[in-house]
Amino acid sequence: MEEKKKNRLKKVAAGLRQDIIRMLCLAGSGHPGGALSMTDIFSYLYFGDVLNIDPNKPDKKDRDRLVLSKGHACPILYAALAEKGYFDKSHLKTLRKFGSILQGHPDMNKTPGVDISTGSLGQGLSCAVGMALGARLNGQSLKVFAVIGDGECDEGQIWEAAMAAAHYNLDNLIAIVDKNGLQIDGFTKDVMDTEPLAEKWKAFGWEVATIDGHDYDQIEDSIQKAKNASGRPAVVVAETVKGKGVSFMEGVCEWHGQAPSEEEKEEALKCIGEFKTD
Amino acid sequence: MDSEKKIYDNPRKVIAEALVDLAKRDDRVVYVSCDSSLGASGGPFNKNFPQRHFEFGIQEQNAMGEAAGLAVSGKIPFIAAYVPFAAFRCFEQIRDDVCKTRLNVNIMGNNCGFSVGPLGPTHVIIEDVGVIGSVPNITIISPADGPQYREAIFKAAELDGPVYLRVHRQEARRIHGDGYSLKIGRADRVLEGDELTIIATSTMVANSIDAALMLKAKGISAEVINMSTLKPLDRDLVLESSSKTKKVVTVEEHSVVNGLGSAVANILATSGPALLKKIGIEDNFAVVGEYDELIDYYGLTAEKIFDKIQDFLHREEDDENSNRL
Ligand SMILES: Cc1ncc(C[n+]2csc(CCOP(=O)(O)OP(=O)(O)O)c2C)c(N)n1
Ligand SMILES: [Mg+2]
Repeated sequence: MEEKKKNRLKKVAAGLRQDIIRMLCLAGSGHPGGALSMTDIFSYLYFGDVLNIDPNKPDKKDRDRLVLSKGHACPILYAALAEKGYFDKSHLKTLRKFGSILQGHPDMNKTPGVDISTGSLGQGLSCAVGMALGARLNGQSLKVFAVIGDGECDEGQIWEAAMAAAHYNLDNLIAIVDKNGLQIDGFTKDVMDTEPLAEKWKAFGWEVATIDGHDYDQIEDSIQKAKNASGRPAVVVAETVKGKGVSFMEGVCEWHGQAPSEEEKEEALKCIGEFKTD
Repeated sequence: MDSEKKIYDNPRKVIAEALVDLAKRDDRVVYVSCDSSLGASGGPFNKNFPQRHFEFGIQEQNAMGEAAGLAVSGKIPFIAAYVPFAAFRCFEQIRDDVCKTRLNVNIMGNNCGFSVGPLGPTHVIIEDVGVIGSVPNITIISPADGPQYREAIFKAAELDGPVYLRVHRQEARRIHGDGYSLKIGRADRVLEGDELTIIATSTMVANSIDAALMLKAKGISAEVINMSTLKPLDRDLVLESSSKTKKVVTVEEHSVVNGLGSAVANILATSGPALLKKIGIEDNFAVVGEYDELIDYYGLTAEKIFDKIQDFLHREEDDENSNRL
């Protein structure tokens, strides 16, 4: 990736991270860890000319789709959608509040730019498979992206969907696994070991790339290859750091589902600011 | 009456034909199956539209999510599975992916009630109306005869939202004429009367008509209502009829817990003073047996419905007399 683009995306990512921290602090509850671990990838998808989408026409028929199967990480989705212009940024202040368009988990009927509602883990990839099948039947060349958690891979339905996507040769489907190594109760390897994860996807018939999910060269490379997959679905297993960008949250299990206090917010914003200038 | 020839339809056949006819007219219609539909309603569809038939094997949760995804893509999916696997295994997928999103996904619960009695209670589900009915946004259709099954397919596709269609295995006796038009949310008065209202659904409509005719022979005039939409219930007709007769009997091949009877009770309790008797299956797992055996065992034959209604009416008379003393 060009240095210029890389710096631009990093800057966007820093802004998204700050938005995540601010909105969670205001909401008083929510999930920072898994939102921050996906921020670099979302920066690339939404601001790196990857997704074919138009914020002025959120229902455009031929748009690419994104399913946030790990719906609890919605602060990153909301931050990206607001930054992109789907709705005014002031809405971010209403996260999880009564009457807000930004609920605790994504709702397609409330938030422009959300392609399908999610929240119960394990269900989103199946919806993405259905969308990919429908797009193919419609003769649309769009791509369907599905973002799933590594803990979420405990769910049997993920593997049902994985089996079905390969069975139907869905090369218009791209899954991204946020392999941050943590879930609620601890390390993924201790709670329920899903390793060898990449090999599992391979065995299910997917094209697999394992990358550093914070390295823009690797992100771009893997996504572009996935877009060109032929005859089978592609998955990017992104090794990430949960809480990435906020040093005191990084790799700390407790920051899965806890909002920063006012002081923690200030400290977090400082961390992110430093990261931005690197 | 006796000279009238009775016509029977096989619901699965009717649905299979209706789906093909519908799919010919509307290329958005797709069929989603879970390894048990080719012998049911999916065979002819598959033959005519193999590209629009998606088989997902024994993965009901996955298939339900995929049906939602297909609907997001502008398709009109019909997904079929045995009631336990269509309604229970993927309950959360129905609730979140289909109902909360209000997508045009049409779920066919095959073999409802005692359809497959010999398979036992893992397959004999008498709780589906209560379970599915508890979810917002979904419409439940429970047809009584061939014309209703056919219409249900077309109307479900037309309705831009989720539908749960209960499909019975028994041959269904024709109640409605050929030009019948089903209106979702509207019940049909299939027999007029003014002393008693019988509200029935699915297989129990035919049995209730027979019971009403036996009552008639005894000089009791019973009205029979075919409640083919269980959600939303036709509140207006329930109130209109019950305010006339003051006595209501519900009949269903379903648990008396959270079925048709409970839905009618909810209406009567708040808006219509009338006495109610619920005829159905008591809160229990069904015993194993052939269809006719079970219908008899649980007191759902026309004769047993007739007996229960007579008891109900006599008890009411006794109560009225004792009140007067
Ligand atoms: C079916 C289901 N079970 C449990 C939960 C509660 N839950 C929310 S997040 C989470 C852990 C998710 O871990 P992972 O998929 O690794 O997400 P990440 O680490 O990216 O936040 C759990 C168990 C849920 N949302 N859905
Ligand atoms: Mg994780």
